[in-house]
Amino acid sequence: MSELFVEKYPEQARLIRLAFTASFIALGVGAVFGLLQALHRTDILRIVESPTYYTLLTGHGVFLVVTFTIFFLVGLYQWAVTDSLDRGPVDPRVTWTWYGLMSAGTIITAVTILAGFLGDPPEVLGSELSADVLFTFYAPLQANPLFYVGLVVFVVGTWLAGADWFRTWLAWSRDNPDERIPLPTFMVLTTMIMWYISSIGVAIAILAFILPWSLALTESLNPTLTRTLFWYFGHAFVYFWLLPAYLLWYIVLPKLSGGRLFSDPLARVVFILFVLLSTPVGIHHQYLDPGISEGFKFIAMTNTMFLLLPSLLTAFTVVASMEHGARQRGGEGTFNWLRALPWRDPAFTGMALAGIVFAFGGFTGIVNAGMNINYLVHNSVWIPGHIHTQVGTAVALTLMAGSYWLVPQLTGNRLVNRQAGLVQVVLWFLGIVFMTNSMYRAGLFGVPRRTAEPEYSFEYDIGVGSMAELNVQLALGGTLLFVSAMLFLGIMLLTAFNDDTEPLVDGTIPPALSGPEDSPPVLDNLRLWIAIALVLVVIAYIIPLASIVDRGGLFGPDIGPFPVFVQITDAIPTVFYSLGALIA
Amino acid sequence: MNIHTYERLWIVGAMVLIVGFIATITYGSVGLGITMIDDEEETLAPDEIGEDERFADPRVEQVGEDEYAAYVVAQTFVFQPDPIEIPADSEVTFYVTSRDVIHSFTVVGTNTNTMVIPGEVATMTVEFDEPGEYGVICNEYCGAGHHDMEGELTVVEAEEFDLTDLAVDAPDEVEPGEEVELTATVENGLLEEVETTLTVEIGEETIEEEVVVEGGTSEEITTSVDADDLGEGDHDWTVEVDDESDGGTVTVGTDDGGDES
Ligand code: HEM
Ligand SMILES: [Cu+2]
Ligand SMILES: [Cu+2]
Repeated sequence: MSELFVEKYPEQARLIRLAFTASFIALGVGAVFGLLQALHRTDILRIVESPTYYTLLTGHGVFLVVTFTIFFLVGLYQWAVTDSLDRGPVDPRVTWTWYGLMSAGTIITAVTILAGFLGDPPEVLGSELSADVLFTFYAPLQANPLFYVGLVVFVVGTWLAGADWFRTWLAWSRDNPDERIPLPTFMVLTTMIMWYISSIGVAIAILAFILPWSLALTESLNPTLTRTLFWYFGHAFVYFWLLPAYLLWYIVLPKLSGGRLFSDPLARVVFILFVLLSTPVGIHHQYLDPGISEGFKFIAMTNTMFLLLPSLLTAFTVVASMEHGARQRGGEGTFNWLRALPWRDPAFTGMALAGIVFAFGGFTGIVNAGMNINYLVHNSVWIPGHIHTQVGTAVALTLMAGSYWLVPQLTGNRLVNRQAGLVQVVLWFLGIVFMTNSMYRAGLFGVPRRTAEPEYSFEYDIGVGSMAELNVQLALGGTLLFVSAMLFLGIMLLTAFNDDTEPLVDGTIPPALSGPEDSPPVLDNLRLWIAIALVLVVIAYIIPLASIVDRGGLFGPDIGPFPVFVQITDAIPTVFYSLGALIA
Repeated sequence: MNIHTYERLWIVGAMVLIVGFIATITYGSVGLGITMIDDEEETLAPDEIGEDERFADPRVEQVGEDEYAAYVVAQTFVFQPDPIEIPADSEVTFYVTSRDVIHSFTVVGTNTNTMVIPGEVATMTVEFDEPGEYGVICNEYCGAGHHDMEGELTVVEAEEFDLTDLAVDAPDEVEPGEEVELTATVENGLLEEVETTLTVEIGEETIEEEVVVEGGTSEEITTSVDADDLGEGDHDWTVEVDDESDGGTVTVGTDDGGDES
């Protein structure tokens, strides 16, 4: 057994533990909000007023898909770089700086969101401290400026993290001039290239338009432009959640299955494809937007379909690696080898279940990507169905499963209670099946997403089953997920304090069956891929952006702000107003 | 590069699948002519909606034989007009814009669904075969009352559909011995002429008049009743044509009952 990570790199282990701690706190809060949403939407239990539902939903989105996923990502990537390059960062102060920036940004943004629960939020920077704008913050909805400031600080932290990893790699390559980039580091670097290229979009949206406008420095903005810049970033953002899970599937899952990765070269190809294709597809989130011509939507659709390729390749490699592992463990037959897999290991089982859910969710993604059929499901609750199978399970469950393997190496403590871990991952799987089954079906009948009260004066035309049954499934699924999340956090907490034990894990990653020497060195030519990615981005975006600016102006056709304070006192007049208007 | 045979097959299969998807969708939009929300319309600033002839008075209008335009304004947290009434089996083009934040205009259970972005005018042309009542909702979060944002789309049989508008001019007070004159202006928003019946009820009397209104014009119909036939006092009147109606009260003689305002 190799030396434990925590013994070899105590400072790195500490940083990663802190990143995971931030990530898990966000998971805990997000899960509580998720449960409340599930009960509220289904009218089983409404403990907040409906306008406050949107404070919950903003928190749920931000804490889970920004804080939980990205803090986990930076922790995992710090591990991957350190472990695969076999060295620490060039300057640990930089490392702590990005951790500090990310934490500070998170706290600032979290405060603005959570202040929305106060009956009478204080005034800060000229507007009420509140940010009920959901994680997509589409202008002209307006949050307190600090909400955007926090996001910017957080993103700058991630940029610095990427720079830190590049620097570590450059230092390593000076010492190892003729070696190929180790696969985990290759994955980290390519992910970060994708992140740099895409997050520029949201940075411009915030810094040039939304933040000055929220500070009343500019009077107006162009909502189509800020929305398009958001989605320029948005699809790469979802791959930013996904790629840490991919890293675990490629690097750790084969090992957990008892074997080795099938092909290192194809893993590199997959990550390169993500660098190239993740950004020039963002307009597929805007199929229903006026102000963008059909041609650009068509280009985005075509690119999106090609983006299926890396995921299909991954499906092959992961299954092939698992089969190899199973056969090493004595598995035989066409399908019987499945039984030889280590199903008692929560780390393995969690990732395998996550993979199954991901495959299913992938098909629903194809539906979303189809320009025409998208009209049926756009902004229906089908979309959170898709979100929860993908980031909410394929990613979240993989990260949780990965923690069962990684956290003991980071703490030097034995994982408490593997059986409980197994129960946890299975509960998550069951929960997601119920919850998303309800969401997908309800979405097809037209039930909208992002709403506190999906009941209206008309009846939905439910083809099969009934609204009541769909609601029960949603609430049941949500409750199982919540219990599972709490169980996971409990296990992690106990493991963190499980001091007087030795971990049972072995951290060594065996080399791939087909190693990097089987692939052309051009795969490691990051400059080349950056250049091609930029060209593709320019082709896909320059004309649409120019056309949006040309039509609506850089600062828009006079669009005033619309601050959202969820205060019941504010909401009552609007509700009456709308009731009045309905009657009149 | 060293690629396993099975892996090669898989890659080829994956590419075939992808190209297949693209071909299907392309056929859907080009071959079947399913159109998408587009950037056809000029931008329109929210504070200019009041001066825009389409949206100043949100409504449904006939623009051709079996062709209609519906001008809809979305704002926190209502749609105008509401309900929206359109004929079945006709081409209806919705023009939707927003007065404030991003909303959607979504006819539940159909693929009539568009984002409504302030500054932009979304258009989509649809045909409803089934008469009935459809729920219209906003499915993009637009603020605290988002879940209350709801409207109604009523699809009526093409033959029963009209765009008739009624305005009535009637006196409040008439001296005994004079005539009570009611002038109804019947406006026909359709392009074809309509033949319909105008019903006037006043006091105990009911008068029916056949009216023919050319497409896109209006007719004035005046009916009169002897005030003496009604007798002194307050008399309620109503005028009805198609689904439209108007009503009021006329007083014959000086009303010493009190209400002087
Ligand atoms: C404890 C388990 C969870 C429950 C019960 C839950 C429940 C829900 C519900 C009911 C919604 C729909 C809200 C609406 O559209 O009105 C929602 C939205 C969402 N959830 Fe979860 N969720 C859970 C975990 C997660 C996880 C782990 C993630 C991601 C890592 C996640 C990401 C999201 C996102 C991105 C949305 C959409 C937010 C938006 O529309 O702005 N959820 N969740
Ligand atoms: Cu996307
Ligand atoms: Cu809304």
